[in-house]
Amino acid sequence: MPPEAAEPPRGRTRRPVLAHVVGQNIGLILAVAILSASIVIFAAMFVVQQDRLPGSFEITSTVNNTMPLALAAIGQTIVVLTRGIDLSVGGVIDLTNALAAIFLTGGVWHMAVVSVLIVLAGGVAGLINGLIVGFGRLQPIVVTLATLSILQGLAIRVLPTPGGSIPAGYTAFLVNTNAPTALCFLALAALGWMGFRRSRLGVDVFAIGNDEQAAIALGVKALRTKIIAYTIGGMLYAVAGLFLAASATGGDATTGDDYTLTSIVAVVLGGVNLFGGRGSAVGAICGAFITTMIVNILFFAHINPLYQSFYEGLFLVIAVVFGALIGRLVRGGR
Amino acid sequence: MVRDITRRPLLAGAGLLAASLPFGARAADKKLTVALSNSFIGNKWRIEMENLFKASLQMDPYKNQVTGTWFNSGNNVSQQAQQISGLIGERVDAIIVNAASPTGLNGILKQATDRGILVVSFDNVVTEPSVIKVNTDQFNFGKTLAEFLVKKMNGKGNVIMVTGVAGTFVDQQRNAGAESVWKQHPDIHVVNRYTGMWDSSTAERNTSAILPSLPKIDGIWCQGGTDGVLKAFIAAKRLPLPPTAGEAENGFRKFMIGYQGQKVDGLSIGQPPYLVLVSLALALGILQKTHPRKDVTIPFPFVTSETVKAGETVFPDLPDSFFADFTDSGADAVVKLCPDAALNGTPCPGSLDVRLPTA
Amino acid sequence: MSEAPVAPAEAAGVVGVRVVSKAFGGVHALRGASFAACAGEVHGLVGENGAGKSTLIKLLGGRLPPDTGSVMLDERAVRLSGTADAARHGIGTVFQELTLLPWMSVAENLLIGREPRSAIGLIRRGALAREAEAVLAGLGIHHIDPRALAAEVSLAERQIIEIARVIIRRPRILLLDEPTSSLAEREVEWLFARIRELRDQGTSIVFTSHRWNEITAIADRITIFRNGQEVGTFTTIDEAKAITLMTGRRVDALYPSLPPVPDGAPAALALAHGSLDGRTEFAFSLAAGEILGIGGLAGQGHRELFLGLFGAPALRRGRISVGGKPVRIANPADAIRAGFGIALVPEDRKTEGLLLSLPVRDNLSLPLLRRISRLGVIRGGAEMRMSREMISGLGIRTPTPMQPVGALSGGNQQKVLVGRWLLAESRILLLYDVTRGVDVATKHEICELMVRLAGEGKAILFYSSDTEELAHLCHRVLVLRGGRIAAELNRPELTAESIVAAAMRDAA
Repeated sequence: MPPEAAEPPRGRTRRPVLAHVVGQNIGLILAVAILSASIVIFAAMFVVQQDRLPGSFEITSTVNNTMPLALAAIGQTIVVLTRGIDLSVGGVIDLTNALAAIFLTGGVWHMAVVSVLIVLAGGVAGLINGLIVGFGRLQPIVVTLATLSILQGLAIRVLPTPGGSIPAGYTAFLVNTNAPTALCFLALAALGWMGFRRSRLGVDVFAIGNDEQAAIALGVKALRTKIIAYTIGGMLYAVAGLFLAASATGGDATTGDDYTLTSIVAVVLGGVNLFGGRGSAVGAICGAFITTMIVNILFFAHINPLYQSFYEGLFLVIAVVFGALIGRLVRGGR
Repeated sequence: MVRDITRRPLLAGAGLLAASLPFGARAADKKLTVALSNSFIGNKWRIEMENLFKASLQMDPYKNQVTGTWFNSGNNVSQQAQQISGLIGERVDAIIVNAASPTGLNGILKQATDRGILVVSFDNVVTEPSVIKVNTDQFNFGKTLAEFLVKKMNGKGNVIMVTGVAGTFVDQQRNAGAESVWKQHPDIHVVNRYTGMWDSSTAERNTSAILPSLPKIDGIWCQGGTDGVLKAFIAAKRLPLPPTAGEAENGFRKFMIGYQGQKVDGLSIGQPPYLVLVSLALALGILQKTHPRKDVTIPFPFVTSETVKAGETVFPDLPDSFFADFTDSGADAVVKLCPDAALNGTPCPGSLDVRLPTA
Repeated sequence: MSEAPVAPAEAAGVVGVRVVSKAFGGVHALRGASFAACAGEVHGLVGENGAGKSTLIKLLGGRLPPDTGSVMLDERAVRLSGTADAARHGIGTVFQELTLLPWMSVAENLLIGREPRSAIGLIRRGALAREAEAVLAGLGIHHIDPRALAAEVSLAERQIIEIARVIIRRPRILLLDEPTSSLAEREVEWLFARIRELRDQGTSIVFTSHRWNEITAIADRITIFRNGQEVGTFTTIDEAKAITLMTGRRVDALYPSLPPVPDGAPAALALAHGSLDGRTEFAFSLAAGEILGIGGLAGQGHRELFLGLFGAPALRRGRISVGGKPVRIANPADAIRAGFGIALVPEDRKTEGLLLSLPVRDNLSLPLLRRISRLGVIRGGAEMRMSREMISGLGIRTPTPMQPVGALSGGNQQKVLVGRWLLAESRILLLYDVTRGVDVATKHEICELMVRLAGEGKAILFYSSDTEELAHLCHRVLVLRGGRIAAELNRPELTAESIVAAAMRDAA
């Protein structure tokens, strides 16, 4: 044997680091691209109609309005990464929104404590999802559909008719209506995501989403990881519920319902793979903003209201198909 | 850009303001811009309501005074909030809103009123104090229906309550109104309460499912989907039909004049789609300073089996699901309209006169 | 060098099992088997598929608990609660089915659980890739990019990463279940060099392979398994005897004799101006009744060629003619079409050919459903009859045609795939490494089947990672190197050595 025989053959030209970063984050990059494109289209329409660029009010209201969805989408991302799906999002938001409208009163400390307790309540809802999915070995879609109904029922019990109120100070803190300060919370969330991605737990979440059996063979505690993932999801939905209550300044036990579907839409637009193991919460945040921008664009396009949902759907399909095609081109070009 | 918003009205003479509004017509005539923000368009009532709004924009006197736009949000609160942000950005003069949530829009509507936009909320009204409300008295709605039954049943017997969409203010108020009456009549037994979701086919399906388990029913109290409930009774051969207090579905009113071989003794009260026109008239009145800035409650349009009249308050040629209360009737009618306005959004002959309560 | 069995108890075993049994739903994989490996030895484990080798490895590696009996570690019975527990005892395992996480990077896969972390416990990405690179380099691997995703590297590279991941954890007991199944010879040499290093450091290594020459090359002792029990442990044993012990019967010749290609046999398949890289061109033709081998080191374009001829996806360039007529094959539907009759049996039958949860019958009849349907309804009788004929004709070992394919052994799964194409009246078979991971007896059957099919006039294009097999089973062998045909070898100069020589010539 020649001396180099102890080494596997072939010199292969190594791709530059940047090529890997692009190739492995194509979903995220596309989400950013689609978001940028929709912002440009919106701004152009706005300038044509209003003779000015979108200003502080437009930016602030878009950000504040998207906050609950963006947070819910982060939670959904974590669950989807484990190769699960969480339909209970709407129920958790309903419940926490209702709880916030009733119990958020008084001083700063009181509000802080109540907020923490509400987030924990969301965590408990997620924990229950996780326990049933994990120990029961049941399909997440079935389990969370059931808990969705239960949580919706609970929310109506807590707040039978819309009402309650959120202290103005609380609203001003979370969703300042004068400047898009809520972006700070998103930046915080994105930072948290990057930490999560690099933590033991993050690796485990990605690992079981890649291949649960293989992950178990590699020593990953799949059951525990899943339960934690659903619990974190529940807590993030609860935070979304708090933001929703803050921007509405009141409670309604049904307004969260939409978030079950829209959070999944945001996750898909954000390039997160619905079969788990691939994706980024930053992409999901972009996905959430894309859905809001679609509403904005349709508004300024003055689409006949009867066809609004048609165009919304059309935009979504175009975005998703476009994303998939580009993704395939990039991967195929290798 | 914060500065821009506040500074602009100061700098803006009429010319600058006109330049910022590119649509020639409204700039030239100083027409007012009024936007309708509707939560969803999923049922006949909402379609009629929007059609009436469209028709009114083409009728005198509104034709020359108002430029109108309308938006739907598929019952999605955040989407409706986002659309209202858009309207604020466009700086419309007034927003008329049928809300997806009584509280969910409070935040954004407060921002609208803070920026000097008049907001009138109707039907599913919001709780935000700075918003003007136009509605009927929902508690009274439920109460009147219940009182009718008590009278017809001589104070005793079995009643079913077909309720509406849980979690809404309207549903809760109507139910409370009914319960306040039952409380005073211990011999009236409410044998079942179930939802009809304000939808005829849902009401029919749910009634069919529950009916076999129920004793003889002496009265029907129904918030919506009344014709569906009656059809379920006919299918189950629970005849003759008991006295019925229900909504203003054309189908229900057909039964009141005789339909499918049955005639029902009934009271039909409507949540009138023309609430949108009252809101529009009120908005203009306030903006033109001809009407005080305050909430308005209008009386229900209602008919009984004695007063119902084909061609005026019931339309045998139109579908059952049509809401026959698109127009008021009688001498003190709030507003009178032709069926075409409700069906197609086409203007009626003559001018439109909305009589706002003076009180 | 004695051929006499050595009783396991004579050596001080570091790791082993004592009278273990393990059953899966009534099927006994192990029945009272005992085994022991010592420190500083390479212990070869051989036997047919189903003999219990993989199950034994899973017990030793903590993946499965035994039903009865115990796993022995340093002469003491231990209970391993999982692979992580086994790792704590110093046991590292490369399982037969690969456990790489496809959408995570090579570095993440390699260092999972021991990533370089910052002060607050977060993984340092840059350091992770650098450490992976260093670790791989330390093992003499320079060609795998640690930043690539596991899904992006070749099967052989994935196997190497899998092995590296275990080795770098410095186990004192290393279990390798079929680690060479997707490796080319040179990569096998690399692995053996590593194994020898570890053995010399005192590591106990258990190694299974279907390739006899590998076992004799690396193993210090060999234990033969049959029907869930050990037959004996040997320090040396010749192949014929080992095969007899493994199968319980004598196998006279592993490879059947090859009938010559009839003179003037028409060309069944020809490729002109073919190109894999879009630059260099090549051509070949395959006659009816011929078995044409494609050889060479792994990753030299074999896969692309086979998939290309099947249209999945089409070749970058090249004119294909079938039966002398030029054809266009843009996708598999074109290839399957009755007029062409091209069939592909891929290596990875689980993902590329079979519907594992469906019965054998349905898998066989898939391409013919239209033919055996009337008004869109499948004629069940005809379907069943054809399936039964094919099952007996090919010797597919299944209790009934309704058995899910996933429950069959690997070799029998391959036969089902071949059977499917025969039923579809394919005349050109592209067999891509169909004997990979298949036991000796089944391999023998597949070889016989190929020769028989060639005798019946089928044209067979055959790739195998086992060079020995190519040398014995093919009329001609084309050696691919860097996407070109580097050599064409005809009998009599066609031998395993000549193939390897042609493949390695100025390689790398």
